[in-house]
Amino acid sequence: MLQGKNIVEGWRALLIQGLLALIFLILVGRYYYLMIVFHEKYAEKATANHIRAVPVLASRGVIFDRDGKLIVDNAPSYTISVIPIEVKNKSESLERLSQVMDISLEEINRRIVKNRRGSFAPAKVFSRVPFEKISHLQEHRLELIGVTYSIEPIRNYISNLDLTHSLGYTREINRDDLDSFSKDLDYQPGDQVGWKGLEKYYEAELHGQRGFRYIEVNALGQEIGEVADRRPINPIPGHDLYLSLDSYLQKAVEEAMDDSSGSVVFLNHKTGEILAYVSSPGYPLELLSGRISSKDWNALITDPRKPLYDRSIQGLYPAGSTIKPVAAMFSLENFEDATKRTYVCRGSYRLGNRSFGCWKKSGHGKVNLHQAIEQSCNVYFFNLIQDIGLEGWSNMAREFGFGVLSGIDIPRENKGLVPDTRYMNRKYGERKWTKGNLLNIVIGQGDVLVTPVQLAQFAGMIAQKGVGYRPHFVNKVVAKDGTIIQDIQSIVDHTIEASEESWQFIHDGMHAVVNAKKGTAKAARQKNWEVYGKTGTAQNSHGEDHAWFIGFSLDDAFPYSWAVLLENGGGGGGKAAPFVGKVLRKMARRNN
Amino acid sequence: MRKYLLSTLRELDWSLLALTLLLSGSGLIAIYSIEVQHGTSAGYFGRQGIWTILGTFLFFTAFFVPRKVLHNVAYIAYGVGIFMLLIPLAIKGDGAVSRWISIGSFGIQPSEFMKIFLLVGLAKYFADHKRRLSSIKELMTPMAMTLAPTILVLLQPDLGTALVYLATLIVVIFWAGIRPLYFFLLLAPAVSMLAAFQTLSFFLWMGLIIVVLYFGNLPFWTKIFNFVINVVLGGVTNVLWAFLKPYQQQRILSLFDSESDPLGAGYQVSQSLTAFGSGGPFGKGFGEGTQTHLKFLPEQHTDFIMTVIGEELGFIGVMFVIGLFYILIARLIAQAYSVKYRFDSVILIGVAAIFVFHTFINLGMIVGIMPVTGIPLPFISYGGSFMFTAMLLVGLSANMAKSRRAV
Repeated sequence: MLQGKNIVEGWRALLIQGLLALIFLILVGRYYYLMIVFHEKYAEKATANHIRAVPVLASRGVIFDRDGKLIVDNAPSYTISVIPIEVKNKSESLERLSQVMDISLEEINRRIVKNRRGSFAPAKVFSRVPFEKISHLQEHRLELIGVTYSIEPIRNYISNLDLTHSLGYTREINRDDLDSFSKDLDYQPGDQVGWKGLEKYYEAELHGQRGFRYIEVNALGQEIGEVADRRPINPIPGHDLYLSLDSYLQKAVEEAMDDSSGSVVFLNHKTGEILAYVSSPGYPLELLSGRISSKDWNALITDPRKPLYDRSIQGLYPAGSTIKPVAAMFSLENFEDATKRTYVCRGSYRLGNRSFGCWKKSGHGKVNLHQAIEQSCNVYFFNLIQDIGLEGWSNMAREFGFGVLSGIDIPRENKGLVPDTRYMNRKYGERKWTKGNLLNIVIGQGDVLVTPVQLAQFAGMIAQKGVGYRPHFVNKVVAKDGTIIQDIQSIVDHTIEASEESWQFIHDGMHAVVNAKKGTAKAARQKNWEVYGKTGTAQNSHGEDHAWFIGFSLDDAFPYSWAVLLENGGGGGGKAAPFVGKVLRKMARRNN
Repeated sequence: MRKYLLSTLRELDWSLLALTLLLSGSGLIAIYSIEVQHGTSAGYFGRQGIWTILGTFLFFTAFFVPRKVLHNVAYIAYGVGIFMLLIPLAIKGDGAVSRWISIGSFGIQPSEFMKIFLLVGLAKYFADHKRRLSSIKELMTPMAMTLAPTILVLLQPDLGTALVYLATLIVVIFWAGIRPLYFFLLLAPAVSMLAAFQTLSFFLWMGLIIVVLYFGNLPFWTKIFNFVINVVLGGVTNVLWAFLKPYQQQRILSLFDSESDPLGAGYQVSQSLTAFGSGGPFGKGFGEGTQTHLKFLPEQHTDFIMTVIGEELGFIGVMFVIGLFYILIARLIAQAYSVKYRFDSVILIGVAAIFVFHTFINLGMIVGIMPVTGIPLPFISYGGSFMFTAMLLVGLSANMAKSRRAV
């Protein structure tokens, strides 16, 4: 049978040859498509495959005070990271790390997940590690496969000033935070970003731009070495901030503040520059930058004195008598007889069957507007507001910057509240509110709520006779090479058209508050220069009244306007005015 | 003896040997590139070199074996092959890979050599039974001969090799003269099972079967029987699918979307595509491939060996190798048609089938158009057993090609 003849039909051979050709054509086509048509796409992919761009952090811009003295710079800190793929099946590494760092394994794993940037990229698990721990890790290097450490800059607070609320702090962002950040600045989990205060407001300027080194890696993600033909991209350091802050004045304010709760804002009314800014109590900024322990954090958020809360821009307080110049200004501009008009104060004012008291129970007797400002007579203003009306008053208050954001360069400002007819109707119902509400409003109680920075701006506007500058901290943004990136101009946000006489009248009244015999703020008086002011007492349903003192100086050496709030400080004349007196005396000593 | 050798040698189709050696040389170059650039001394190059030389001896051994001897021992060889396949299964107990029989420090894969024994067995059967293959009964023996080793290697489990056996059988049956209608009905169940993965394709395929059966010249009950078989097989596909090992399922699935899971089953293919694509028309130069040398590709010296050639020598290099394969296989088919004896012809077409299957699956798998089934590329992939098998197959082909039928 071996000799059986081969009798394959020709069509079968042809069909098979055809199939063979087809199969090889498919192959050739596929390879052509892959290697010729899409060559470039894959060439890029291959490059990306084996070259890892290692980010080089840009150093964050530093911050100077108005005299060019450094307040904040950067210091090196150790960071421990874990390369996820290398510890994937090696729990010993992480167990060892957990022992050394004295933190549970679950917590480490949680941080790896949170800061993960890919299997091969180091995920940050500890920041601000003390050097001893690093040397300990170094000793156990062989048991810690996949664990790396690096040095990265963190904020270093040089000055001994309490700038908690103005500077704010930086914080590491994690994966969840990323979405809330601008895509242009290419943030990565683990980056330090401004989280509060100026650090947050000027994040874009301070942040800088990361650079890259190019490292060749193999498929296991192990680094082989620097890529020779690819130049590293150097990081661009963040810009520096030059603040308007006067460290000397700030220190003087802090010393006067001591341990009390409250807020102080000093600004230059000729420019809007903030010179001193305190919200007390604060907290050490070092505590919140980096990782805060939950114990410390709980202590901060449960502290009854609310250290996390920036009173100067977020605190909403009744303005008390400090807001009386609003009504006075309205009267001067609208009533012919404003300066001559008198009312008799018998210590209280009757409205229907209710009685509204003046602070002086025995009464001020017959008072005119000047005396009413000087002695802060409530009854005078109770009478006056009847003629002004709610709309007139609230329009004037808004022109002075109340009820609107001051525009200060610190995030999360509150705008306060200036009640008008619409507001009152909504709150109490139409015609449900009475002249009684009105009486409270004109003396800065009841529905009126202001922030200390608004009151400081208000004092500044009076000093400038109707020109209100936007308060700001930063004067200049300067690049590392000295180029001025941004020269922040003084911006006039509010102007009030009023006669010179009206302004002078208010000035005189506020001068008398400090300097006249019956003035309520004599403790703020200075020997060689003139101080203007207005005291206030904000009734506080939770406890003792808050003390206010706002004012200004027209001396060229001291173009200051201020607002001082001492929580539970009693009457404004009692504590807040001496506070300013003390600070100003100290400033006078510096100038001599 | 010497006279026999010399006169036989005069009949050698040198082009087969030349093509074989060119292909083996290409493989050696690729392995050399991997090894030298890695700076390792795994010894792949040296061993592959020795295997190529030994393989060349095997080529001539197969070439010189008289056809009569081969024909006589065909079934015995087939039996020995089946026995060898049983050995690794019998010693499987310890959990070690069961594809190998170790002899000293060498391991051999009986499933590779079984390709030859099966083919020779089939050739003898078709040479001895010169039938028209006009009924299923006549196909029972060759089908049983093929299914036995197929099941044994599936137990190892080695899906790729099992498919090689089946592919060989299918081509040989076609070549031996099966009626086209029967051939269709023979293959239909396999297609039914594949089509069953998707509802639409399954119904379209069933429609085609109905049309073919309707017009086909077959007894009524045969038609009904065939239809039922296809429907039932399609129905149980999902059950059979569950019997596959998860990695085999994954490999088949990754064919459809190789880039979806870059570190899983599709990882190799995704990296392989990058290697080829980045190679471009002329390649990155010998020893310059970053994909391969930075170990992005596992198994690069075996199943993924062509990526080295693709990345470093480019489209030109790949076309060179593909061209060699095409010429070799096309030549085998041409000779299968022109040889004098049916035995010779079946062996030649069987060898062609084995090579086509290997090249198409391997070259297709590494560029993502075939599933990753672990099938090596003849002559190029690193590995002794397959090198020997491939050499023996070409040697056998050269032997068979000596006889020319009178045209």
